[in-house]
Amino acid sequence: MNIVVCIKQVPDEPIIRIDSERMTLIREGTESTINPLDRVALEAGLHLRKHNGGQVTVLSMGPPRGEESLREALAAGADRAILLTDPAFAGSDTLATSHVLARAISRLRPFPDLLLCGMKTIDSDTGHVGPQIAEELGIPQVCGVNKINLEEDSLVVERLSDGFLDTVKVTLPALISVSRECCPVRSLPLGALEIAFSQGDVTRWGCQELGVSEEEVGLKGSATRVRRLLTPAFTRKGEIVSGSPRLLVDRLIGTLEAVGLLDEEDG
Amino acid sequence: MRFEATMKQAVVRRTVREFAGSKLADAAVEMDRTARFPLDLAGEMADLQYFGLEIPAKYGGAGLDAVSSAMVVEEISRANAAMGLCISVHNGVSAYPMYLFGTPEQHRRFLPLMASGEKIGTFCLTEPNAGSDIASIESTAIRRGDEYVLNGNKVFVTNGGVSGINLILARLRGTERAEGLTVFIVESERRGLDKGPPEDLMGMRGNPVCPILLNDCCVPSHNVLGREGEGMKVALSSLNGGRIGIGAQALGIAQACLDVSLTYAEQRYQFGKRLVELETIQKFLADMTIRIEGARLLIYRASHLKDRGLDYARESAMAKLYASEVAVEAGRRGVQMHGGYGYTKAYPIERYYRDAKVCEIYEGTSEIQRMVIARSLLSEVSGSKGENGYEHRSVHKTGSRRTYYSY
Repeated sequence: MNIVVCIKQVPDEPIIRIDSERMTLIREGTESTINPLDRVALEAGLHLRKHNGGQVTVLSMGPPRGEESLREALAAGADRAILLTDPAFAGSDTLATSHVLARAISRLRPFPDLLLCGMKTIDSDTGHVGPQIAEELGIPQVCGVNKINLEEDSLVVERLSDGFLDTVKVTLPALISVSRECCPVRSLPLGALEIAFSQGDVTRWGCQELGVSEEEVGLKGSATRVRRLLTPAFTRKGEIVSGSPRLLVDRLIGTLEAVGLLDEEDG
Repeated sequence: MRFEATMKQAVVRRTVREFAGSKLADAAVEMDRTARFPLDLAGEMADLQYFGLEIPAKYGGAGLDAVSSAMVVEEISRANAAMGLCISVHNGVSAYPMYLFGTPEQHRRFLPLMASGEKIGTFCLTEPNAGSDIASIESTAIRRGDEYVLNGNKVFVTNGGVSGINLILARLRGTERAEGLTVFIVESERRGLDKGPPEDLMGMRGNPVCPILLNDCCVPSHNVLGREGEGMKVALSSLNGGRIGIGAQALGIAQACLDVSLTYAEQRYQFGKRLVELETIQKFLADMTIRIEGARLLIYRASHLKDRGLDYARESAMAKLYASEVAVEAGRRGVQMHGGYGYTKAYPIERYYRDAKVCEIYEGTSEIQRMVIARSLLSEVSGSKGENGYEHRSVHKTGSRRTYYSY
């Protein structure tokens, strides 16, 4: 079974800084890590390989520093690492990013049986990239999966949605985005890190290798622009009322109705 | 000049920080309370190669550079100083000297056991009448045919209670001061080696520090580490590396003091303000930060010199001395900032303060470090000798070739 895991390098800082002109993350001078749910996806991929054989290839689009996360993935046990990097990719929104990743995946021979990624990232939190890759490649997708079972040429996966447990059978090739519960994440042995960083190989592909034009990627290839980023302000407005129980109940119901939390019929 | 961690060092540091935060921090409370060393947790660390930090992969080690190794000890100690002590001593003054001075046969026999954590190492120098003054060691070794018979009494042996391999410094009979000192590799199961009860320590209580007694303990001659009579050289060079480890340990404790003090000062209100808004408290925090960063730079620099194969004796002494004093001061300031709560066991700062103190004492007291530093300065101007009359230089291993610097 050939598996591709898409990972994103995200800031490992308590406070994320934003470039106020481009509305993109400032990555320079920050500590980085593999997006935690992508790390879960990698473990899930390695677990499937352990029981079913095959190869795990890790893909990441980002600046050259992304090599760090790919080497960490090699230390975890990935067979191959490819960094999709090109100055033209800078400023890509989720659609342009998905396009680059999909083009890279379509270049792999044989075409992978399974694509894995985290269901969302801790920095932008959109959850767009996985589904958009699947759409562009024309393969089925299941998102937010917390359990994967392989059954011959299909997968039976479980996901939690709105408190219900869905069991979904999906034919391969397919894309699965995983939730935190999908697989435990191991701490890596130090020697594996030493080897991955001193001897591991990271392939680099840019626009030329992928056969994409600069118009399709980066800010130019993006369908969306972030105009403004702000932190929502939450204010608590407590009100203390006094009176008889009857009066208090009427007042409470009236207040809840006024803010739309209670239909009049419920009342 | 670059002041950034390499990609590998950054990932090693984060990997250990996450492991230590999730597995070692809570255990530290229990280890301190019960004074018990959790072997299962040590086993987990062994699986991640924390017991073979700088030992090459062919012996099962992680093969890390000295800077990464210091980062590992720093991050473990930040979460759990007693465990950091175990890792620092095992790697710095037991496994690494074995690698540096061991014969190929000793490497084959002992390094895989040490790097895998199957055998935890010690370095037995201190005796009731010898510590800072190494040359006063009274433990004796008498050659008898193809073996040596050891007798003596070693005290304050870090990791002693759980050790499997002990490096023991003893004197060949009939010799004086430094000339006859020799290091012997003594497995814990050898007849004649007994362990005394663990010390009831002020800090680092989770580490099984105990006496090791040698009573007609027979050791084969191929268990001599380095050459006969080279014990002082082995000891001093081991301590050079070990001091980086103790410095890194102290740095981790100091950082932990700052971490919890900052959190406390952000949450605690006095005079209608959070403590962090008070200028006095800001000064405490600023001073702690400056000193911690200074200690970190000294430690990374000493490690960097070690990685480059340059002399680092003075630098490791400076790093160890400064970091340990920074840690004690960070503990003192931290307790002060916590006020009455800092004097209770409800907050970890009192433990950090207790843990920090010993860093000024073991692997060369602060007073000895100052002597090493001053004598290295004096040797530059007048050619005078260093610690215990020896010129204090580093010993390195370059590939398979052993390079002794002028000694």
